[in-house]
Amino acid sequence: MATTTEHVSLSTEKPKSLPWYLLDLPKYLKGFGLLAVIYISLRLYQGAFAIEHGLDSSEPAFEQYWMRLFYIELAVLAAVVSGFWGYLWTTRDRNLDQLAPKEEIRRYFTLTMWISIYTFAVYWAGSYFAEQDNSWHQVAIRDTPFTANHIIEFYFNFPLYVILGGCAWLYARTRLPLYAKGISLPLTLAVFGPFMILVSVGFNEWGHTFWFREEFFAAPIHWGFVIGVWFALGVGGILLQGVTRLIELMEKIEDAE
Amino acid sequence: MKSLFKPWLMAVLCINVLSIFAVPSAQAHGEKALEPFIRMRTIQWYDVQWSTQKFNVNDEVSVSGKFHVAEDWPISVPKPEASFLNISTPGPVLIRTERYLNGKPWTNSVSLEPGGDYEFKVVMKGRLPGHYHIHPFFNLKDAGQVMGPGVWLDIGGDPADFSNTIQTINGEMIDMESFGFANGVFWHLFWGLLAAAWLLWWVRRPLFISRYRMLDAGLEHELITDQDKTIAKAVLVGVPVLVLALNAVTANQYPDAIPLQAGLDRILPLPAQVNAGLVNVDTLKAEYNVAQRAMLLQFSIDNRSQGAVRIGQFSTSNVHFMNADLASVNSKPGKDDVSNNGLSLSDNTPIAPGEQRTVTVEVRDAAWESEKLDGLIKDADSRLGGLLFLYDDVMGKRYISSISAAVIPKFN
Amino acid sequence: MSAQIPISTFKPYRGEKARLARAYDYLILVLALFLFIGSFHLHFALTVGDWDFWVDWKDRQWWPLVTPLIGITFPAAVQAVLWDKFRLPLGATLCVAALLLGTWVTRVFAYHYWNFFPINMVLPATMVPGALVLDTLLMLTNSLTITSIFGGGAFALLFYPTNWPIFGMFHQAVDYHNSQLSVADVFGFQYIRTGMPEYLRIIERGTLRTYGQYATPLSAFCSALLCSLMYPLWWKIGKLFADTRYLKRI
Repeated sequence: MATTTEHVSLSTEKPKSLPWYLLDLPKYLKGFGLLAVIYISLRLYQGAFAIEHGLDSSEPAFEQYWMRLFYIELAVLAAVVSGFWGYLWTTRDRNLDQLAPKEEIRRYFTLTMWISIYTFAVYWAGSYFAEQDNSWHQVAIRDTPFTANHIIEFYFNFPLYVILGGCAWLYARTRLPLYAKGISLPLTLAVFGPFMILVSVGFNEWGHTFWFREEFFAAPIHWGFVIGVWFALGVGGILLQGVTRLIELMEKIEDAE
Repeated sequence: MKSLFKPWLMAVLCINVLSIFAVPSAQAHGEKALEPFIRMRTIQWYDVQWSTQKFNVNDEVSVSGKFHVAEDWPISVPKPEASFLNISTPGPVLIRTERYLNGKPWTNSVSLEPGGDYEFKVVMKGRLPGHYHIHPFFNLKDAGQVMGPGVWLDIGGDPADFSNTIQTINGEMIDMESFGFANGVFWHLFWGLLAAAWLLWWVRRPLFISRYRMLDAGLEHELITDQDKTIAKAVLVGVPVLVLALNAVTANQYPDAIPLQAGLDRILPLPAQVNAGLVNVDTLKAEYNVAQRAMLLQFSIDNRSQGAVRIGQFSTSNVHFMNADLASVNSKPGKDDVSNNGLSLSDNTPIAPGEQRTVTVEVRDAAWESEKLDGLIKDADSRLGGLLFLYDDVMGKRYISSISAAVIPKFN
Repeated sequence: MSAQIPISTFKPYRGEKARLARAYDYLILVLALFLFIGSFHLHFALTVGDWDFWVDWKDRQWWPLVTPLIGITFPAAVQAVLWDKFRLPLGATLCVAALLLGTWVTRVFAYHYWNFFPINMVLPATMVPGALVLDTLLMLTNSLTITSIFGGGAFALLFYPTNWPIFGMFHQAVDYHNSQLSVADVFGFQYIRTGMPEYLRIIERGTLRTYGQYATPLSAFCSALLCSLMYPLWWKIGKLFADTRYLKRI
């Protein structure tokens, strides 16, 4: 999704089927598809192996089926974070003061796509796998912080949306003049607030280890996650920043049919 | 990104597709999750038996047994003022149809008395075929789950055959598997379609950039039309009226609806079964040898019964350490229980009536480690607990003592 | 922040610019849909959670108090942006619809298909009528005060009657081994949950006692009062997060 000013001439050579402001749409849709495949696969993996091998952490099969998945997740996340963040930073636009309005508009669209990919990951982490945790706690007797659902939810889904939120933040910071001149408060809130949900995992596991033995989902031990997710409301500010800038930029380009 | 993920994803998908055809099989639950001092000194299970371990969907199966609530209840564990006898299953592959405590049916929670003796029975019915490891266990409020002994159950048959019908007080027979589902879906669709219509009414027109510009330019009156206002007024009046009307219809349909029922069942303990007084056991000392995985227990036994008694078994946290010399009289734990012959006595001769004897018992077995009971020596509360079974071979009697002692570790 | 377009020079977008603005709309709508499913559902599941998950948690005292109180938060915050800056009266309905979508997907795939619970045991509650009232009232009055008092109140008061047609039938009495249970209680007893013992349920617990057994209306009115306070609070929180500043450093 990252294209620098220098790539504009190349971008305009693309087939005419897509308008210039939606050049990154295919990548966006592929990103959506890929994420959907990953999350659905993880859910299918749970369906296949959680009850058979994921109920008792002291069994050797747990190590084989679940802890191994955990290590694979860590490796994948490390590759994704270094790959994406590294790419976005090293290909940053160093001539932002010469950015043409059309290219800036296109980049606002791409930023919106990045944030959309981020919120898609927030959906899986905040909605599906989060509530699924309650379902799993009706089946398993918790004997490890690495349950068959936590291995997906806490140690893959949470870091992945943090990484994707970081991508959106970095994209804006490295490719859009307003975000490069100052640090956008709402974008920072919308990315760093939900990041604190990942940090809350520590508080949650500490509490469950020492005194919260019950699986009461609305318990205060979980409210750290809740406060973290309020910061997602920062997207309202990002929308306003985007809309006002796009209006300004559209004044600068010619009308066309 | 694609090159990183795709082979891995394909592999995951292949595994999943293959696994769909497998018969469900569930491994043991996290029965070793709690600290050993909690597992040893709260609910002390014994004589737990299953009616059968192989049955079909819709067939009944029951588990019955006894438990003693330890007198030496750990200080860090809240007292069992609200407790719930549960069954650890991988989801409702069985349903629980009846439950009895000391012969009385009970559906709510119960307050247990430390030192009390209880017998229980839970009746269940097969719902989903598979091979599952199932335990009875106690949920103890604010303390966690204390597991009873587990067994493997094989449920056969066809899940489609499962039926679960109950009768309401008004005589209506209802199918619990589908009751209220279609009605719930209908009302969610009804309100969902209304919400979707309202949302579509607005999102069909230009939204963010256009509306922001118009509002900024003072064209607010063009953003909300008279038609919008008419519809909004209809919704504002119509929706509450509809809600109240539908509520009245439902209230009329179920005039005898009752609130959810919640209460603590009051069930008194049985007359003393454990520590009943005829054979008194006082634990003088407990030493755990880490290298040998052996617990050395010194008891002072006061036999006030009419017959000679011998120590036959020490049981703690569902691990049964048996005295091999008394194999003929020992009650057999369930076949999936952890049991072994790791009990040896300094003096294995019967303790005569009226005799008071100090006996040293060595309980040596890898189970201390494999069942994570040796974690005791690393806990803040390192007291051991368990049930000591003594047998009168001649009279065919059994005496049970709930023992406890501080454990002293020997590292070399 | 404002683009500040004077009315005299205002020219509606046509052609490519109109298409561009519309494409941006669609992108934002997809973004918002998943954002609100993910964020509002997490917020809701960890605060109202158990009351909404299980049929045998939906009591007449706590459920109608807690659910609207927590349920009005995101709708208010989102309305604060969508109404105030775009005159779009759909913030509450969007949030509640998004929550229901996320909830239904989870109940079906996480509870039923993964762990075999019948879906009728985990039917969610709906807040759609309350949300429609919030959106239309805000639109017609354009008043935070009136929407807070009457909209917030209606959001709470409509909750229980809205859901009674779904859950009333689960409150029929059953003689279950010599004790009286509701059908909902029988679900809790029969369909085994290892992590949800009966005593964990918060059923008419606490000191909010009833007079003449009018538990539901008392709870609903208490919730109405709290919702009319919660609504402006979350409107402000929505505004706070929708800050458009760019900072020099963080």
